[in-house]
Amino acid sequence: MNVSNLLLTALRSLGKNKMRSALTSLGIIIGVASVIMMVGIGNSARVSVRDKVYTYGANAMSINSERPFTEPDLERLRRSTSYIKYITPMVGRKAVNVKFENRFLESRVRGVNNDFFRIQEWPVTFGRYFTELEILSYEKVVILGDSARLSLFGNSNPVGRIILVNNVPFMVIGSLSELGQAFSGRDQDNVVIMPFTTAGLKIEGRRDFNEIFASTYSEDLVEKTAGEIRRFLRSERSIVPGQAEDFTVKTSREKLEMAEYIAKTLAILLAGIASISLIVGGIGIMNIMLVSVSERTREIGIRMAIGARRQDILLQFLIEAVTLSAGGGIAGITLGIFIYFIITIAVGWPFLFSVFSIAISFLFSGAVGVFFGYYPARKASDLKPIDALRYE
Amino acid sequence: MDRVIEVRDLVKTYFISDDVSVHAINGISLSVAKGEFLAIMGASGSGKSTFMNILGFLDSLSSGSYLLDGVEQASLDDDRKAEIRNTKIGFVFQGFNLLSRTSALENVELPMIYRGGARPSEVREKARELLAMVGLSGREDHHPNRLSGGEQQRVAIARSLINEPAIILADEPTGNLDSRNTADIMGIFTRLNIELGITIILVTHEPEVASYTRRKIVFRDGLILQDTSIKKNVRRSGK
Repeated sequence: MNVSNLLLTALRSLGKNKMRSALTSLGIIIGVASVIMMVGIGNSARVSVRDKVYTYGANAMSINSERPFTEPDLERLRRSTSYIKYITPMVGRKAVNVKFENRFLESRVRGVNNDFFRIQEWPVTFGRYFTELEILSYEKVVILGDSARLSLFGNSNPVGRIILVNNVPFMVIGSLSELGQAFSGRDQDNVVIMPFTTAGLKIEGRRDFNEIFASTYSEDLVEKTAGEIRRFLRSERSIVPGQAEDFTVKTSREKLEMAEYIAKTLAILLAGIASISLIVGGIGIMNIMLVSVSERTREIGIRMAIGARRQDILLQFLIEAVTLSAGGGIAGITLGIFIYFIITIAVGWPFLFSVFSIAISFLFSGAVGVFFGYYPARKASDLKPIDALRYE
Repeated sequence: MDRVIEVRDLVKTYFISDDVSVHAINGISLSVAKGEFLAIMGASGSGKSTFMNILGFLDSLSSGSYLLDGVEQASLDDDRKAEIRNTKIGFVFQGFNLLSRTSALENVELPMIYRGGARPSEVREKARELLAMVGLSGREDHHPNRLSGGEQQRVAIARSLINEPAIILADEPTGNLDSRNTADIMGIFTRLNIELGITIILVTHEPEVASYTRRKIVFRDGLILQDTSIKKNVRRSGK
């Protein structure tokens, strides 16, 4: 008997028990759908995290210290290595109340120099960046993030307007393009950026700061530079080996790796759960195939009496099992993609169509059918013709 | 005369438990020539059905020898046995043994599909012809549950013929049928025997049915009690 006949026979006998076949496949459908969904969500999460990190700057690093930095530290750090391209203090991040006419906004302050915009590759939409003079002379000027600008000024040009930041008047000299949500979910565009000198004096009330943000000439120099900075700070602060550092140097890559590690761990966990559901589905198929074999013992006897070989019977039942599991696989893939698609729309993640995960899921579901269908099929084909024929 | 079946000292023992065994067949020797039409008779438990199952390669023998067309059964593996059941032997059972929820036509086609090598259209054509031959034209698409006993048995006969077997083994083929259908079925067997020269062995306990044949073998307690050939000019039309 050839494969097309066997397939026809399998489809026909499954069709005779539609409800049972559908319920049997349900385990596989759910298993495969969850695999597809999980893999998709995992990939989307990873990609969106990576995008966030890249907007933050792939060659960037941030240096945090418990012992505050002062302005001369900035120059010393720059000279400690030859790879730093941009370096800026990060003053504040403090929550402030912003007011323009009768509009209020809760926002955050950042005190930086112009290198900050270059590290972030953050273009202006209105106005301009700071001038050196503005920074040196503690000028009360601000550049607004996109959502801060929108809530205060709507669509009108904010340049030249005076706003109150914690009741201190500042002049708006520019606004920035949209950056989007941080992967913590925080709105990075709700920000009021001012010269670090001004931020220290008017907002923080001190002239030193705890964070420095820097970038290197290229992405592959980041780790090396971070290492040199670490060594420089250790020796400058006389930290002996074994003693805890009072500073941290975090690179974008570390953040990326951390995010990817979390995503990967999550994916493995989810894949584990999904495989368990596939195995449970497979056991369901095996169970029903065993029932089917014993229900159809007479049919097997008749087929043997008219000339079916053992392998014909084996293949008949094996193909039935594989049809159940692969059919469930196809339904599961469809369902999984659909749910994944809905989720990406709801969360605003990119929808990534992975042919690889679909192919793997399909093959795996087929393999589940072969694995769990073999024993019942073997049992059927091992029957003696006369015993099968006489079975009541 | 060619001997199709040659059985020597055939014994079949069933083990009911480790120390209890039943001899269903106690040493039977028998030859059947090509083109014979014979009936095996006997009370139930006389071993006649067991003997048929062994002849049909459905059951194995415990000792002795069975040659079909000069080939010893014991020397064949399962696949060869399946092939012989498929191509050399046609079975007709008391309980018809058609696949349920499968049309008459598909039931008839099945042995030829298992045999392989034929185009689907060829198989279909041949199955139609055979159904027409047993008088079931127009019933091709009926499932067994919509056919009468006599019709089902005719489907089974058509099925047994599709691979042009040399032998038909019929185990109480009319056991579930009324007298009119019995006459129909026996008429078909007689025609197959005379017109196509197919060797037919049937098991029955009805003398009426046995009277269609030309040789009668009576079994008792797993042994042949009587073996008589009837010389007659066969002219039974079946109707």
